[in-house]
Amino acid sequence: MKTYLGVDVGSVTTKLALIDGSLNTLASIYLRTRGNPVDMVKEGLEEIKEQMPPEAEICGVATTGSGRYLAGVILGADLVKNEITAHAVAAMHYMPDVQTIFEIGGQDSKVIIIRDGIVIDFGMNSVCAAGTGSFLEHQAERLNIRIEDFGGHALRSGNPARIAGRCTVFAESDMIHKQQMGYPIDDIIYGLCQSMVRNYLNNVALGKEIRPKMAFQGGVAFNKGIVRAFNETFDTEVYISPHNELMGAIGAAFLVKEEMENNHGKTSFAGFGISETEYKTSSFICKACPNLCEISQISVNGKVLARWGGRCDMWERIEGK
Amino acid sequence: MRVGIPQWGNVYIPVKAMVHRLGAGDNDLIIPPPMTQKTLDLGVRYSPTEACLPYKLTLGSLIETCELGADTLVQARGTGICRLGYYAKGQEQMLHDLGYNAQFLTIDVSHHKLLSIMKLIKNVSNDAPWHKVISAFSFGMSKLFALDKIEKVVWKTRAVEIEKGMANRIYREAIKAIDEAMERKEVKNITKEYIDRLNRVSKNSKTDPLKVGIVGEIYVVIEPFANMDIEVELGKLGVEIERTITLSRWVKYSLFLNYLGISEWRKVHRLANPYIDHDVGGDGWESVGEKVLYARNGYDGVMHLAPFTCMPEIVAQNIMPSTKEDIPVLAVICDEQQSKQGMLTRLEAFVDLLEFRRRRGNGRRI
Repeated sequence: MKTYLGVDVGSVTTKLALIDGSLNTLASIYLRTRGNPVDMVKEGLEEIKEQMPPEAEICGVATTGSGRYLAGVILGADLVKNEITAHAVAAMHYMPDVQTIFEIGGQDSKVIIIRDGIVIDFGMNSVCAAGTGSFLEHQAERLNIRIEDFGGHALRSGNPARIAGRCTVFAESDMIHKQQMGYPIDDIIYGLCQSMVRNYLNNVALGKEIRPKMAFQGGVAFNKGIVRAFNETFDTEVYISPHNELMGAIGAAFLVKEEMENNHGKTSFAGFGISETEYKTSSFICKACPNLCEISQISVNGKVLARWGGRCDMWERIEGK
Repeated sequence: MRVGIPQWGNVYIPVKAMVHRLGAGDNDLIIPPPMTQKTLDLGVRYSPTEACLPYKLTLGSLIETCELGADTLVQARGTGICRLGYYAKGQEQMLHDLGYNAQFLTIDVSHHKLLSIMKLIKNVSNDAPWHKVISAFSFGMSKLFALDKIEKVVWKTRAVEIEKGMANRIYREAIKAIDEAMERKEVKNITKEYIDRLNRVSKNSKTDPLKVGIVGEIYVVIEPFANMDIEVELGKLGVEIERTITLSRWVKYSLFLNYLGISEWRKVHRLANPYIDHDVGGDGWESVGEKVLYARNGYDGVMHLAPFTCMPEIVAQNIMPSTKEDIPVLAVICDEQQSKQGMLTRLEAFVDLLEFRRRRGNGRRI
């Protein structure tokens, strides 16, 4: 059986999904990246190997997410794709008439506008991480509740507190103020969710025409408080994809399936053996000019596989490759 | 007098040619070092945070020329354009505070531009006779026009070359050769030689590359360091670019044809008029009109380059979505906080979007 693997290495989590030729998800895994993308890709691959049916054969591998280049080198990916396209492709599969996709991940958030089955516009947060998963997680920790329970608290709120949402710094001080004033925790949490949605719509989605149907995906779609805030803002049900946290990986797998079928190519997948391989990542400052670029490289047994990070292409060429 | 100018695209090449023509030696002109992280760091350290990237980069560049011994600095000034009109004053003050007692010579870019530039050349060249000033100026300009002519071929070649990076290498060599040329005839021959070389680069003839128009604020559009080499990155993704804003065009119109009542922007302004019908400073009005023009000419998309906090371009950015002519626009904000990785992700996604759109038949062929 022909199968295709999509790997989404995000800032906070690493996701792998294996699909078959009819686009069914056969195996998947969701891991925390913990700043160690190489090990997580290896660990994820082990897990996929255990879950996959014995007759399955991997005929194509694609990587996406902010760690897509690194993961692409390790896995011998056939396709390295940006996460915006990957998310859009997956969402359109599960919801063909979707017109707006909200995607909120660990450190970035995006909005993708789709009309008649093609992406016509997108927006992405740039310098500000307000309203992303990491911020919510940090606040949960500060309130001493588990992030998994965050949504439950928000759903119990009847009278949400008004929290300033323009900037996380102000949101945090506003929350502390409301706590000192004696607001119930449920109302503070839901107030925070509302302000995060407001902030997202006023920044990332600014100037975009948001139309139903809307899909919400990315790790933050697990957070029922944010979902409730979206539903109340638009007065309609925002659709949560069945594998919302895996959508990037699934989209990448769809794309590589299409590519491999069109080109009849043979996969360059490095094989399951890579979980035994010792990869070494390192970085150095190039002193060839005053740019002082930070070059990162990945190597196996002293042999450099790839380098990144230079303003020029000086380090991109690898000897013997 | 040791003259220093801020780095901006290839502008140092014609300036150097003029100065040498007027008999000045290598010591009389300080060529600004290519922009690097160091230039940016210097500029950011000594500028107000809310100043725009062109201010910070030109300040950093002027500091670097001062470090190399410049005592006379050239910068633009003017009224009614944008904050650029005040750059020289702010930067002069800062350089004095830093202990560089450089004198500022300014070019008025809103009125009497040609006269202002000619007077400056005359002043710098120890009062050379007018005919020599004019001859030197025209020699310098021949280099500027040659460079822009070659670059236009580079834009087309990058998108379809089989060995990626070839066009850039040839372009770098061309810049060097033009810079070293001593005679007008030589400039002409070099231009022809390098255009031929670019035309001979082996290309993928089967693909019909995506075509994207570049619009926006003139400094960040022309200086590759400011826009994180966006044109090269688009070339790597197989996209052919076009941009109307070039230095040679500015010279041709702003210094000459405008005086005869011929405006390069008449058509663009007319196209922009239903959405914005007056100058908003900088290049904002033109950006809107150019978007409409690229859409009408069947381009696949538009890149809108704007410095962070640039008022004219923010006005343009907010008006662009309302035009009847529908073409995808990607706003690229140029700022010291912007990461190249983030920009590349957006570029890749934008190119995918354009490709899907064309496959659907929404993108017309040119």
